[in-house]
Amino acid sequence: MTRAYWLLQRLTQLLPVLLGISVICFALLQMIPGDPARIILGSRASPEAVAAMRDRLGLDQPALQQYLTYMSKVIRGDFGESISYKVPVSKLILEHAPVTGFLAVYVIALAVPIALILGMLAARYRGTWVDHLIRMLSVLGMTMPVFWLAILMLRLFSIDLGWFPVSGYGQGFLGHLHHLFLPAVSISIWMIPVLVRNLRASIVQQSVADYVLAGRAKGLTERHIFTHHILKNASLPTLNLFGVLVAYLIGGTVIVELVYALPGLGLLMFNAILGRDYPIIQGLTLFYALATVVITLVTDILSGLIDPRVKA
Amino acid sequence: MRISVMFLALMLTSIGSIASADESPPGSRPDIIRIASGSRTLTLDPTRSWNSGDIETFGQLYSRLFRRDQAGNLQPGLAERWEMSADARTYTFHLRDARFSDGTPITADDVRFTLLRMRDDPEALYSEPVSGVVDVVAVDQRTVRVMLAEPNVPFLDTLEVCFLGITSRADVENRGPGKAFTEHPVTSGPYRVREWKPGDRLVLEANPYYWREGFPRNGGAELIEVIDANTRIAMLLAGEVDAIRQLGWSRAESFRAQGKVSVPLEPANLIWLILLNHAQPPFDDLRVRQAAALALDRQAMARVVLRNLGRVANTTMPASLDHHLADFPGWPYDLERARQLMAEAGAAGHEVVINIAAPSPQMELIGLILQAQWADIGLKTRIVKMDQGQEVQRLMDGDYNASINWWYNENPDPDLALRWAVCGSCGNRAYYTNYSNKEVDRLIAEAAREPDPALRRVLYQRVQRISTEEVAQIPLFYPPWVNAYSHAIEGLGMTPALQWTLENARHLR
Repeated sequence: MTRAYWLLQRLTQLLPVLLGISVICFALLQMIPGDPARIILGSRASPEAVAAMRDRLGLDQPALQQYLTYMSKVIRGDFGESISYKVPVSKLILEHAPVTGFLAVYVIALAVPIALILGMLAARYRGTWVDHLIRMLSVLGMTMPVFWLAILMLRLFSIDLGWFPVSGYGQGFLGHLHHLFLPAVSISIWMIPVLVRNLRASIVQQSVADYVLAGRAKGLTERHIFTHHILKNASLPTLNLFGVLVAYLIGGTVIVELVYALPGLGLLMFNAILGRDYPIIQGLTLFYALATVVITLVTDILSGLIDPRVKA
Repeated sequence: MRISVMFLALMLTSIGSIASADESPPGSRPDIIRIASGSRTLTLDPTRSWNSGDIETFGQLYSRLFRRDQAGNLQPGLAERWEMSADARTYTFHLRDARFSDGTPITADDVRFTLLRMRDDPEALYSEPVSGVVDVVAVDQRTVRVMLAEPNVPFLDTLEVCFLGITSRADVENRGPGKAFTEHPVTSGPYRVREWKPGDRLVLEANPYYWREGFPRNGGAELIEVIDANTRIAMLLAGEVDAIRQLGWSRAESFRAQGKVSVPLEPANLIWLILLNHAQPPFDDLRVRQAAALALDRQAMARVVLRNLGRVANTTMPASLDHHLADFPGWPYDLERARQLMAEAGAAGHEVVINIAAPSPQMELIGLILQAQWADIGLKTRIVKMDQGQEVQRLMDGDYNASINWWYNENPDPDLALRWAVCGSCGNRAYYTNYSNKEVDRLIAEAAREPDPALRRVLYQRVQRISTEEVAQIPLFYPPWVNAYSHAIEGLGMTPALQWTLENARHLR
């Protein structure tokens, strides 16, 4: 099986997944109580105004009809217009995506090197005070609620010390780095421990494998065995976990976006759900689904590069 | 190695694309006033929304025929002068020489277009107050005549309301309302839109053609949407914004004491209340409604929930409106009488569902107090929390017994307020309570036609007395706006009608 064929197969698998997600999302939206027209117009609107809006939005049609109309537009690349803002959903997503994207990359850049070093240290010095300290800090990091940590850091570093801005995401690359530092740290503090614990466990598991014994018998140095064999094998489960975490990050930064007033995708979704802005919810769900599938695909490709056995 | 190169490339491309997409809005300019609000701007079309975030912005974008001065008095706006016919059914307005933000003149035809669009467009929300308009005639470029079906005393007050801001007929017809109100709308007010980022912020710049000489006193404004109150406060304390909306009642006292920011407690056309569903037992029985009102210690509630920032409400109408019945005692806390009424009605043991729109810590606190105090008279209560959309839906469907709620009025005249809150035949079944009293409806209609202010006062006070005694709703309290302002600006405040006095604001440095 060639790599291109494998990739093509993976991409075709994507279609039914996306279709399934769109159906589930649409069905769930139908089940949430609350009429979008009524919510947008508010309790003071006359029944005529609500009826006019329902008619314009096609909300009176049967659910299946609405779904088919929506999907036929999506296939042509039209995600529709936001009910409340009356601007194209694709424009809204493109406006909000850079913030979340930058934040996700920032978190990765902060979390991965630190997690690698701590995970390796804990495994290398297993049972010593180094290991205990790292594990203790991990538990601490994982159990601290992200929003609480975010509020505390905001108070200390932004208001009392004035080192970082409270809100927004700044101008230019350096501005983004400066503005998003605290949000990225808030998320990293939760994410690093998860990766560290996973990596440590894998390294510990791999270091008693037969191939390590064989390497030693062949006279390889401990260093060579660790960097070329143990680490490579141990990184696979962590990489997969990392893929899941990154996919989660794209949609799961809403709390941090709320606390630091970041106009990202999480906030867009949050507001859309409260306002029953169906086109935004549907568009974003498809976007998330696509992002998750792509990230999983990239993770799989990376796994294949590290370990050729994975692909088969 | 290959992996890290790929990873780095991925990172750099994504970062690069963001950095290049960047531009420089006027965030750091010193003459820009920045406000963080928890309310969202949903639309820039003044006919399309009642949402508080939109009410906050409409007034900044569109001038009306009249405006209100600092003292709250009606003053000429785009209409320089006006005359009323002897039968009080025809108004003639003479427009001043004013221009839209694109430099085109504001004409009688634009006024006609604005009024008729509000009256006739099926999706226009403020159509009821202008439904009595029979016709609007553009006599010449700067003279417009409005004919009413019958005399309507509060009509000039209605013309001042932010929803009736004058919009450009040429622009709306050329671009269509879809584009005209989303991409750089043509405005008639102190500001025009520099950039609108839905869900994030509205960036305004001074309208160079604004008719008021010397205004706005600043270069522009940023209205930033920040949902979390803690974040708004942090932004104000860190100097990132000049003012914030909704500081929160529980925080007001400590911030006033600290003095780092100013928290002026501004009067509001606002009332918090409990809606009761008159169409279902047990609140279809007057005695049970009265008992429910008597069982509440609203003084204690105002102390605990409102932190004594406002007064206990004595009638069904906000106290800041004209002709409020100030000397009426309202419902006292009288447990004995409440129990007696419950016994007479035989309603003890009835279960009552209280709907609350979450998340609102204040409403949840009120819910808990209700639960405890109504238990004292034998009403079993079940609190159901739901999101705002669902709460509105259930209210309108009549699927509730009681609902903790609030409303505000957009001008100081009682006409619209009482039509909204206690009129059973004005379209919303008295705020969806199904309260209906023909006498009340008749008095409200009569008062709208009554030119003598003293007689109008008598009529409106009778409406308040009857609807309060019949417990159309249980009034709770009259809160102020609790906004916080930086000491570095002057002139910025909020009117009782939820309008920022943004055009007067400037930085002190």
